[in-house]
Amino acid sequence: MRRRRILPLTLLPLLGAGPARALDSPAAPVVLTLSGRIGAVNRPGGLDFDMAMLERLPQAGYLARTPWFGASRKFSGPLLRDLLALAGCQGRELRAFALNDYRVDLPVDDARRYDVIVARLLDDRPMAVRDKGPLMIMYPFDGHPELRDAVHYGRCAWQLRGIEVL
Amino acid sequence: MNPSGADQPARAEPAVEAGPQRLSPWFSVTGLLLVATLLAAAFVQARQYALLSMTAQYQDDYQMLSLYQAEIEYLRLREQLSAEAGQPGSSRQLRLRYEVFLSRTAMLQNSRTRRLSSESGLVDEVLGGIARFGRHADPFLGEGARGTLGPADAQALLAELQALGEPIHGLLINATHQMAAQVTERQAQVRAHNRIGLALTAFLLAMLLLFALIALQQMRKLEQRRRRLETLAHQLRDARADAEAASDAKSEFLADMSHELRTPLNGLMGMLSLARDAPRDPRAANWLAVADESAAHLLRLLDDILDLSKLESDALVLSPQPVHLARLLREVQALLQPAAVAKGLGLAVELDPALPTYLRLDPTRVRQVLFNLLTNATKFSDAGAVVLQCRRAAAGDDSPVIEFDVADTGIGMNPQTLSRLFRRFSRADDPRALRQGGTGLGLAICRNLARLMGGEIVVRSTPGEGSVFSFRCPLHALDDQPEPTQPPPDLQPRALRVLVAEDHPVNRQYMLALLERLGHRVRAVDNGLLALQAVRDGTAQPFDLVLMDVHMPVMDGVAATIEIRRLAGPAGLTCVVALTADVFADTRERCLQAGVQEVMTKPVSLAALRSLLARHFGVAAELPPADGLPPSATTLPAMLDHAAIHAVRGVMGGDRVPALYSGFFEQAASAARSMREAMRNADTEALRSHAHTVKGAALNLGLPALADAAATLNCEAGTLAAAHLALALQRFEDVIAATRSLCDGEGLLS
Repeated sequence: MRRRRILPLTLLPLLGAGPARALDSPAAPVVLTLSGRIGAVNRPGGLDFDMAMLERLPQAGYLARTPWFGASRKFSGPLLRDLLALAGCQGRELRAFALNDYRVDLPVDDARRYDVIVARLLDDRPMAVRDKGPLMIMYPFDGHPELRDAVHYGRCAWQLRGIEVL
Repeated sequence: MNPSGADQPARAEPAVEAGPQRLSPWFSVTGLLLVATLLAAAFVQARQYALLSMTAQYQDDYQMLSLYQAEIEYLRLREQLSAEAGQPGSSRQLRLRYEVFLSRTAMLQNSRTRRLSSESGLVDEVLGGIARFGRHADPFLGEGARGTLGPADAQALLAELQALGEPIHGLLINATHQMAAQVTERQAQVRAHNRIGLALTAFLLAMLLLFALIALQQMRKLEQRRRRLETLAHQLRDARADAEAASDAKSEFLADMSHELRTPLNGLMGMLSLARDAPRDPRAANWLAVADESAAHLLRLLDDILDLSKLESDALVLSPQPVHLARLLREVQALLQPAAVAKGLGLAVELDPALPTYLRLDPTRVRQVLFNLLTNATKFSDAGAVVLQCRRAAAGDDSPVIEFDVADTGIGMNPQTLSRLFRRFSRADDPRALRQGGTGLGLAICRNLARLMGGEIVVRSTPGEGSVFSFRCPLHALDDQPEPTQPPPDLQPRALRVLVAEDHPVNRQYMLALLERLGHRVRAVDNGLLALQAVRDGTAQPFDLVLMDVHMPVMDGVAATIEIRRLAGPAGLTCVVALTADVFADTRERCLQAGVQEVMTKPVSLAALRSLLARHFGVAAELPPADGLPPSATTLPAMLDHAAIHAVRGVMGGDRVPALYSGFFEQAASAARSMREAMRNADTEALRSHAHTVKGAALNLGLPALADAAATLNCEAGTLAAAHLALALQRFEDVIAATRSLCDGEGLLS
């Protein structure tokens, strides 16, 4: 009986049960917007982040070799699953949008299974738009050979500007 | 040394037998091919996997996307720029578009772009143009831009940007075509791989089928072998059952036979013991006569057993030849006549005039059957007549049949007796049957013979009225009467010219003595070749009969007979009778096949010889016993010197002669034993001394052959090798025995 009560409470942030909670609003220009079926917002219909808010989240980083940068480069930034937990994600699919209106769908499951990050630093330096920044979804390709295919490379949306939970 | 012999075993080795030791070579060849094909297939698949795993393909695809996006961003930037060209300054939107455009065009700055373009000049032109545009635009639109974009600058940048439109689009078109070519090439590669894969698969399939076929064939061979073995096992089982049945029959036959043999043997031994215990008893002559009868019966029994064994082992082969039927019947009648007359019976032979004069049949065997039936009829009839009726009949299928009916007026038989009639050792339940001394084998032999001739013997009988035995066999008529194979029997007794071929001097002597005693003219030779020459050269005075020993040096009796049968004219038809000491059916058969008329088993008694001559020459052979001996054609010394014996008789007086001769033979036998011992001890002198003693006595008693044998031993004892000495001694002993039996015949012994 006890566990039944405790379990929903523990899962509350992830499942986003209950009404949408208001979070801090960005002070600087918005770099990332989460929208769709989320439980936490800081403006009507969405959760906006500026770079500082992303910086405050726990950071992860690793080396990854991609088709666009030749050799392995270091990518770092917050974990996608932390962002989703923060936003109270309630769906199974995500749709990522880029500045050039590129968009791609990826399953929430990827974020749980792999250390998918929203990279904001390349070799510990911020990325300019012309260098595919300022944000970029990155998979740990070096540690997981099974990810090295067109589908997963395609899910690495660069010049990321928003994520919609479907 | 012998190449043909050397490779013989290899060739002889049957293919089937090679099966279990080594598999067919095809098996291993196919197996190797199969493995090779599988390896090739694995290689091709590995290549295909590698082809699919090549990242170049993805990256080229991605490069296409980059090109498209670069053009889109180019168009967006151009649109944004042309929209804002009229107003001073630059919007955030324009700057973003500019940055995105640059980030997209940055993706083209790698070798892949060149690979996707057939004209490297175009790539340089585009990349150079973009870099130039970037240098001009950065001060107004880049990060941390210093200058403000004025309308004139905007127009200049727009013009520069528009000039890039055509090359960027060209690059895209160019790359599209290049990509299509690459795709086509890759497809061709994949197709080629697929083709190889398919070919390999097909080959694999074929190999597999071949493999399966070979395996199937091997299995079928195994199955065949198994079935053959099974059949063989069946045959062996059957053969074993047959052998066991035959063995049982033989055991039964042996049991019967030993009983049958024991009866006359008991009679013989009983009578002999009576005679031995009381030699002076007036009944002794009678006892000896009974003993003689028993011995004769024993001999008949053995002859019959031999005949039967030949018949039952299918070893007897008929030798059909043209036969004058009437003459054959007359011969049979002549043989039986004395017995019939003795019993006061009539003996009649009736011949159907519808029968041809000459028939083709085996005269010896037909004679044997008729003789047997007539003998039986005579035995069991005490009054009346025995009638042999010979007539033509027809079998069910109208083929001609000759039927010999032997009717008697005897005691007849009841159904029980009839049912047992043709069995071995079965006799009518009549004490007279035993008294008659039948062997109990005659009818069994007759029936077997009749069946061998393709005929049968049937019997009908009424107890108390008599029986009729009908012997039927197929009738082979001869239209032209051929030259008779044997000279027609003479009606008047005459001396026969007989050739004796015998290597053993004692036997030769013995046969000479017997024949001369019967009054015939004899010539003796000691091997087959000489016999052949004698028959061939004797055309002026042909031999009536050749008595041919089977085992002889130079040329044996069988070979000599075959050669004689090859001679042209009457010489080739000379009657040959083989003499052999062995009783094997095989030897008899070889002789009969060689063409002898008859095979006689040694020892030959006077009575047997007489009956032999009667069988072949009828009354012609019946000469009164000769007084004194006609001159012999041989150079060997005669067995008995009648003049000397006569002299001994004169000197000693008739009643002391038997004791003298008996005593001498005892001495001679004892001398022979001593000589054997001397030989064992290598005491040549003792041997010679004994031989000398015997020689002297034998000469005195008118026994020249024995004297000669003893003299030989006396002379050669010192020079002969042990084996030859033993042989000479054996001959010496044989001569003693033969001489003794002749002396017995002359009444010289006690």
